[in-house]
Amino acid sequence: MPSGLIDAERALDDVLDESARIAELDAAEAFPAELCARLDSFGLPAYYVPAKWGGRLDDHEALLRLWRTVARRDLSTIVAHGKTYLGTACVWLAGSDEQAAGVAKAVLGGAPVAWALSEPDHGADLLNGTVTAAASTDGWQLNGAKWPINNATRADLMTVLARTGTTGSARGQGLFLVDKSTLASGTWRQLPKVATHGIRGVDISGIAFDGARAELLGEKGSGVETVLRALQLTRTMCGGLSLGAGEHALRLTGRFVSTRIIQRKPLIDRAQPRSVLARCAGLLAAAEATALVGARSIHALTGEMSVISAITKSVVPALTDLVIAELTELLGARSYLTEVHEHGAFQKLARDHQIVSVFDGSTPVNRGALAQQFGRLARAYGAEKVNGAGLAEAIDVGVTPSEVDVDELVLTSRGGCSIVQSLPGIVSELADRPEIGSLARSLRAVTARVVALMAEVRPAARPAMAAYELAAAYELCYAGAACLQLWAAHEARRRDEPLWQDAIWLRVALHAVLTRLAIVLRTPGPEAVAGDRLAELVAAAAMAGGSVTPFGPGASSER
Amino acid sequence: MNVDDLDALMGDPRDPGNPMGFDAVLAADERQEMLADGERLLDGYGFNAEFVPTRLGGRLDRIDRLATALRAVWRRDPCLGLGYGFSSFISGMNIWTAGDDEQQRGAAKLLLDNGKIAAAFHELDHGNDFAHAGFTARAVADGWLLSGRKEVVTNLRRADALVLFARTSSAAGSRAHSQFLIDELPGDAVRHLSRLRSSGMRGVQLGRAEFTDCPVPGGALLGELGQGMEIALRSYQVTRAVFPAVSVGPLDTALRLAAEFAHDRRLYGGVIADIPYVQAILARSFADLLAVDALSTVAVRSLHLLPAEMGVYAPATKYLTSRMVLDAFEDLRSVLGAQAFLRDGRYGMFQKLHRDIAPATFAHVSRSACQVMLLPQLPRLARRSWFADPAADPAVFAVDGPLPALDLDRLTAGMARTDSVIATLAARSADASPLGRFVARFQGALRLLRAECTDLRPSDITIDGSPAAFALADRYSVVLAGAAALAVWGDRPDTALLGVLDRLDGRLGGDSVLTPAEREHVERHLFGEVARRLRENRLLDLSARRVPG
Repeated sequence: MPSGLIDAERALDDVLDESARIAELDAAEAFPAELCARLDSFGLPAYYVPAKWGGRLDDHEALLRLWRTVARRDLSTIVAHGKTYLGTACVWLAGSDEQAAGVAKAVLGGAPVAWALSEPDHGADLLNGTVTAAASTDGWQLNGAKWPINNATRADLMTVLARTGTTGSARGQGLFLVDKSTLASGTWRQLPKVATHGIRGVDISGIAFDGARAELLGEKGSGVETVLRALQLTRTMCGGLSLGAGEHALRLTGRFVSTRIIQRKPLIDRAQPRSVLARCAGLLAAAEATALVGARSIHALTGEMSVISAITKSVVPALTDLVIAELTELLGARSYLTEVHEHGAFQKLARDHQIVSVFDGSTPVNRGALAQQFGRLARAYGAEKVNGAGLAEAIDVGVTPSEVDVDELVLTSRGGCSIVQSLPGIVSELADRPEIGSLARSLRAVTARVVALMAEVRPAARPAMAAYELAAAYELCYAGAACLQLWAAHEARRRDEPLWQDAIWLRVALHAVLTRLAIVLRTPGPEAVAGDRLAELVAAAAMAGGSVTPFGPGASSER
Repeated sequence: MNVDDLDALMGDPRDPGNPMGFDAVLAADERQEMLADGERLLDGYGFNAEFVPTRLGGRLDRIDRLATALRAVWRRDPCLGLGYGFSSFISGMNIWTAGDDEQQRGAAKLLLDNGKIAAAFHELDHGNDFAHAGFTARAVADGWLLSGRKEVVTNLRRADALVLFARTSSAAGSRAHSQFLIDELPGDAVRHLSRLRSSGMRGVQLGRAEFTDCPVPGGALLGELGQGMEIALRSYQVTRAVFPAVSVGPLDTALRLAAEFAHDRRLYGGVIADIPYVQAILARSFADLLAVDALSTVAVRSLHLLPAEMGVYAPATKYLTSRMVLDAFEDLRSVLGAQAFLRDGRYGMFQKLHRDIAPATFAHVSRSACQVMLLPQLPRLARRSWFADPAADPAVFAVDGPLPALDLDRLTAGMARTDSVIATLAARSADASPLGRFVARFQGALRLLRAECTDLRPSDITIDGSPAAFALADRYSVVLAGAAALAVWGDRPDTALLGVLDRLDGRLGGDSVLTPAEREHVERHLFGEVARRLRENRLLDLSARRVPG
């Protein structure tokens, strides 16, 4: 791991050591302005701007890690601040040099940017929006409402999807850049902040256009395509939010079980709570592997991102939701009270995290999208088709990746999914590692079964429920394969680190993934794996501020 | 006075002018207050009479009736349900179990006058570990001196009386604590600390107080000295069996909201109820709801008919149903999408219900504590009861059928020695039909469970048991739920039952009993039934009662 990255993560972590204030802001439903200002001072906005335009967005792994670092302190803050990355992604893909330079300058100066996709009655339906854009002698004019939109009130700049042609048509939408500070009065109005279940302080509001002036970004009918390509980046990066929430939950619970005495013994000294903590650590390690490989794949396996982004956006929040649900039971009343136990941080992260599986494309939307590529994925698996160079770069965690060729972001993956398709190969290579051999072979066997079932699914505009379940299973196969690949690539160097000894994190993670697969597929589960050691390590790390995941940086100051 | 009257009083939840409508319920949650109009309405209805035995002038003769009434309130507003009277119910059960005549008459009068009795058991440092609770009562010449802290006590400050759990002996073991019924606290010896806030049930006043040599009279002792734990264990069998039945209410509303949304919301040129994913999630949540209702109905009826077996049924039911309800909420969240995250609008109730129901897995008793209660009972039941005891009286499964009077003296703190609900499963024959295959599956699971429970080591039936042992308690609860569902449906051929058993079977693990095509058929049927009940304003539970909305 380059020490520069870890230093940056620690430095960022330090400026956010404010759990009491974070709780207070949430209770007051106040925007975390002071925390966002600290992120600005740290220089986080530069990570949202490509190097070409003067920023530091040359390594999505770095951005993922920095987002995790903020998210494990406060999801509200990173959802508010990180929206600028989402809002600008389309600009870098489709904007003119002049537009990109202008937006880059604003972002580097700390300006937030919004991304106005959702509409009151259409949500995820990108093709049937009712906001229209009409050409006039004075450029384009927007009409209609976008809601609920993150940063809609605070941001002057926003990218807006609007209809230029017929409704329901893939080529009927354009993407527009709006600068509220330049709009004539009366051509727009703010829609009020929405009261939300979590991330309560965040500016989730809306905007109604009435002849507002806008600039076209890219070509007229290319709006939906640009958005879908941008979503391949942003959906992948959302993994960082879940990793932060999951890590926060694991640390809070790790400290609780280390200190909570029930019947004269700390919980961590009992087998059952230990097994829960270990399982959650395994699930989080699998989520981390998935998200890290996903973020690096933006550079390394760009042409596969239509698949990888859908997988990452589904499975990383889903695994994290499971972790939070299990840890809630361990924490009991302390997961619920808003002032007790570390300022009620757990109940906040549990509420906040519920949005991650919803925004930027919900889990069912992503699974439905993945199902559209089943045929290709099944054929590519059968052929063991692997982009070797791309795969090698995707798992080379900690090394600055090559530049992203955005032209390779395409709507379907010709190469299928190299990570999953590499599974038969890596399992054979690891055949002589007795500690993981049988788990790896089980993963290969279940993956072959999942892929065979995927091959039988007929393409349909409205896939059957079974297709969603197969998509969920394929995501888990991907997570397991990512774990195996990362472990094989890094264990020689890291085998002395506590979480890496005896492949403990890998074994518990694979077991957790296989268990989930059995539940999704309705098949018998795997043999038990002893995770006691992992639970003890995680609990100790939570107390001491060490790393609770295989690729975690640890915390410089705890809490 | 019956539950239809209560529903009629609460009125149409969608009526914006209804003081008990969703808008008012959400507004009270935002203010972190109890729904005052709701409390007045329940006072007017005389709701507390549901908690008071008929012999003392109340309406409590059947626990299923009480559960149905509570469910109706919790269906509208769990916060009102908990904050208005659930703690009076818990306190009341301890009083009816152990109080002397005077205590019982006093408590009954207090409740019938719309008073509240708090249940001061909890201490944050000890949670479910009552045996190590630190609050003490020291005997003095004319009574007791109370010292220590009680926390997370519903209505502690505004209650008119409280039942309090305190250590009365420094000896270890189960006879070191006693209960007290106190109707007046001297102000200077009790310091109330600020109310505890929570992420859900936000209107409920969770109190905490510090007692310093607080004098109470000798007559405050409830039951015998040292009997505190035993009284609690016995009366908690009632409250822990009732809670699962009540939790069906919030899930009913959540499922209704999701189904309404699915039929209202237009996406991709149709309504989202046309999407197979959405249909399947609604179908599965409905099956989960029916499974929870069937098991909790059996648990509640067993209080009357199989009281000696409640030592297993109460914890098993609380353990399984709380997880099932929360999991169903999680599934339904994926149907509602962003609407599940908004605190206002047509579906704003969903997130409130989700926050309110969240403590189900740890409140009153945690799931792991339930497993610890079940573990020591399983080896004996495995060896002596399963496949040996006669099947339970069919009356246990006759939903709404007649019940003998509740006899609290027959509830015991000891271990169950028979398990006649499970015996109904063992007694069934299995054919090759889908239903027969489920019978065979659950019987097979029971046989495996018998073998494994028989072999449990003494060290595995304690809090220090292995995860594999804890998993047996989990599987037992699922097999029990399967047995309950099979018996409740009886011989009626019903596609819905297959859905219920399929959902439970998924929790057992192993190969699916249904083929994918069979599952699709079952789920299409269940989805159709959800849509029909929605159109006809019927509840989604076993009763399918018509309600105002």
